[in-house]
Amino acid sequence: MLTIKNLHASIEDKQILKGINLEVKAGEVHAIMGPNGSGKSTLASVLAGKESYEVTDGEVLFEEKDILDLSPEDRARLGIFLAFQYPIEIPGVTTTNFLKTALNQVRESRGEKTLDAVNFLKMMKEKMKLVEIDQSLLSRSLNEGFSGGEKKRNEIFQMAMLEPKLSILDETDSGLDIDALKIVANGVNTLKSSTTATIVVTHYQRLLDYIVPDFVHVLYNGKIVKSGDKTLALELEEKGYDWIKTDVAEVV
Amino acid sequence: MIKEQSILLDKLENSLDSSSKVKKEAWEMLQEVGLPSQKSESYKYTQITSILEKKADFDLVEQKTFDKKELYKTSGSHLVVINGVFSKPDSLVESGVFVDTEEVTEGKHDPFSLLNTAFSPEEITIKTKGEVSPIFLYQVNSVGFSNPRIKVSAGKSQEISIVEKSINESNTFCNSYISFDLDENSKINYSKIQAYNEDSLVHETIFAEQLRDSRFYSNIFTFSGGLVRNNITINLADENCVGYMNGLYILDGKSHVDNNTSVDHLKPNSYSNELYKGILDEKSTGIFNGKIYVRPDAQKTNAFQTNNNILLSENASIHTKPQLEIWADDVKCSHGCTSGQLDEDAIFYLRSRGISEKNAKAMILNAYAAETASYIPVKELKEEVEHLISNKLI
Repeated sequence: MLTIKNLHASIEDKQILKGINLEVKAGEVHAIMGPNGSGKSTLASVLAGKESYEVTDGEVLFEEKDILDLSPEDRARLGIFLAFQYPIEIPGVTTTNFLKTALNQVRESRGEKTLDAVNFLKMMKEKMKLVEIDQSLLSRSLNEGFSGGEKKRNEIFQMAMLEPKLSILDETDSGLDIDALKIVANGVNTLKSSTTATIVVTHYQRLLDYIVPDFVHVLYNGKIVKSGDKTLALELEEKGYDWIKTDVAEVV
Repeated sequence: MIKEQSILLDKLENSLDSSSKVKKEAWEMLQEVGLPSQKSESYKYTQITSILEKKADFDLVEQKTFDKKELYKTSGSHLVVINGVFSKPDSLVESGVFVDTEEVTEGKHDPFSLLNTAFSPEEITIKTKGEVSPIFLYQVNSVGFSNPRIKVSAGKSQEISIVEKSINESNTFCNSYISFDLDENSKINYSKIQAYNEDSLVHETIFAEQLRDSRFYSNIFTFSGGLVRNNITINLADENCVGYMNGLYILDGKSHVDNNTSVDHLKPNSYSNELYKGILDEKSTGIFNGKIYVRPDAQKTNAFQTNNNILLSENASIHTKPQLEIWADDVKCSHGCTSGQLDEDAIFYLRSRGISEKNAKAMILNAYAAETASYIPVKELKEEVEHLISNKLI
C-alpha cells in the first residue's frame, strides 16, 4: 500500500529525515517509535503533505502512485489520513459542518454521491458510538476548548467518518489517561481491516498494549535504525532509548 | 495647500443657496476650517482632499433610473432617497412610521459635516410611534455630488431597526450625514451594507446621541468602494447607556476603506463595545481608528474595543490605531488590535481532511467574519450579509 524509499526532508534548511525506507502492506499495523526530535512527527506530516516541509530526495508511493507532488487534499481523497498530535482549534467552524464538507468533497472526488443532511447525520450517529463522543461536542467550534482527550477522540471520530485506507496516528496517546487511551485504541481497532493499514507514531510503548503492531521501527536521527516485531517495543520500554543511541554510535 | 482647498470650495461656491442662514453659516465656517489638509492627523491615510480634487466632478448631473426590483421584498417600511431627496411615490411607509422633510438644521462642525449642511437639499426626518417593523432605507446617489441628510429620532422607549443600502454610481462623490437621537430607554439598531462601485467616493458621517437607558447598535459591512470613509460617533450622554459598534470590511482590488470611530462616555455606568474585523486582499487598503473617551464624570464605565485584521496579499495594507483617553479613575476599558495572515496550520488541518485549499480558506474566513453579523436584528439582512461574505470569499 505504502512504499517509502530513501526519503529525505528538511524544514527551513534543517535536514530532519535522512533516508527513510519503509514498506507498509494492507492489513498491517506499523509502529514508529523513537526519542524526541528523531523525526517521527516530521515523517507523519510529510506523508500528509504539509507544505512547510521540503522533500529533498526519495519517493513515496501510495498504491503504486507517487504522491509527493499531490496536495494534502488530494492525498486525503486517495485515502490517507493523519490524526494530528496537536489538533488545531478553529473558532466558528463546527465539527459537523467541517466534516460534512470534508466527507462530501472526498466522495465527490471519488465520483460517489454526496450525502444529504439526513444520511450524513445517520452516519455520524453510528460513528459517534465508536469513540464515545457526544453530539454536543460536535456542534461546537472545532476543537475549541476541547480537553486533550476530547481532541484525540475527535481525531479518531473524523477517521471513522472519512474511512481512510492508510491511517497515520501521530502521538495519539500523548497526554491521554488510560480510559481515554482505551477508547481511542478501541476505535482504531474496530476500524482496522484487511484492506486498511495503520502507522502508529508514538514515544511510549503503552499504546501498543492496546493497538498491537505487526512491526516496530525505531527512528533515530532521521533514519530507521532498527526494526522488529512487537517485542522490540517492550525492549525499548525496558531499556530506554539510550540503548539504541549507543548501538547506533557503535555501528558508526 | 490652502490654494488647493480653495479650488474645491471655489467650484462649489456658485451652487450654495445663500438664502438659508444655516447653510450660509456652515459655508462660512467651512471656509475657515477648510477641508482636511495633507497634514491632517485624522485623514492621515486618506488624502481625501487631493483625491476629490483629482477625481470628483461636482458639475456632473446624470440621473439614472432606479431599479425598484430590490424594494418591498420584505415586510416593513421602504424609504427611497434619491440624491438626498425623499422620493415619496417610490416609498412605502407603514403606519407608525413618520417621514418628513424640512430645511437642513445645524450639524456637527467637522469639515464634511459642514459641507453636508451647506449643500444638502433637505433634512429627512424619521420618527416612529408604537411597535414598528424594520425600516429599509434605499439611497440612490447618481449625481456627481450628493449630500443626503437623514435624522432618525427614537422617542421614549421606542425601538427602531433601520437597514440601509446605497447605490452609488461611478465617478460620484456622496457626502452623507445620518444622525440618531435616542430618547430615554429607546433602542436603535442601524445596519448598513456598503457595496459601492469601484469608482465611487463616499464620505459618511454617522452620529448617535444617547439619553438615559438607551441602546444603540451600528453594524456596518463594507465590501467595496473606490474610497470609503466612515466617521462614526456615539455620544453616551447620559447614564446606563449601551453603545455597540460592529464593523466588517472585506476588500479587494484597490478599495480603500477608512473607519474612523469614536465613543464618548460622558456620564457614569454606561457600556460600549466595538468590534471591527477586516479581510484585505489584492491591493486594498484598510484604516481603523478607534477612539474611546471616558470623561471625568463617567465613573463605572465599561468600554471595550477590538480590531482584527487578516491580510491575504502582500500588497494589501492595514493601518490600525486605537486611542483611549480616560479621565475617570473607576473604569474598565480594554482594547486590542491584531493584524496577521491566515493560519497556515489551520488550513493544512482542513486540507488534510480532503477539503480544497480554496474552501478551507473560505471556511476559516467565513467563521472569522460571521461574528460581526451577530447583532443584525433583521433575519433577511443577516442572511444577505452572510451570503455576501461567502460570495466575496469563495
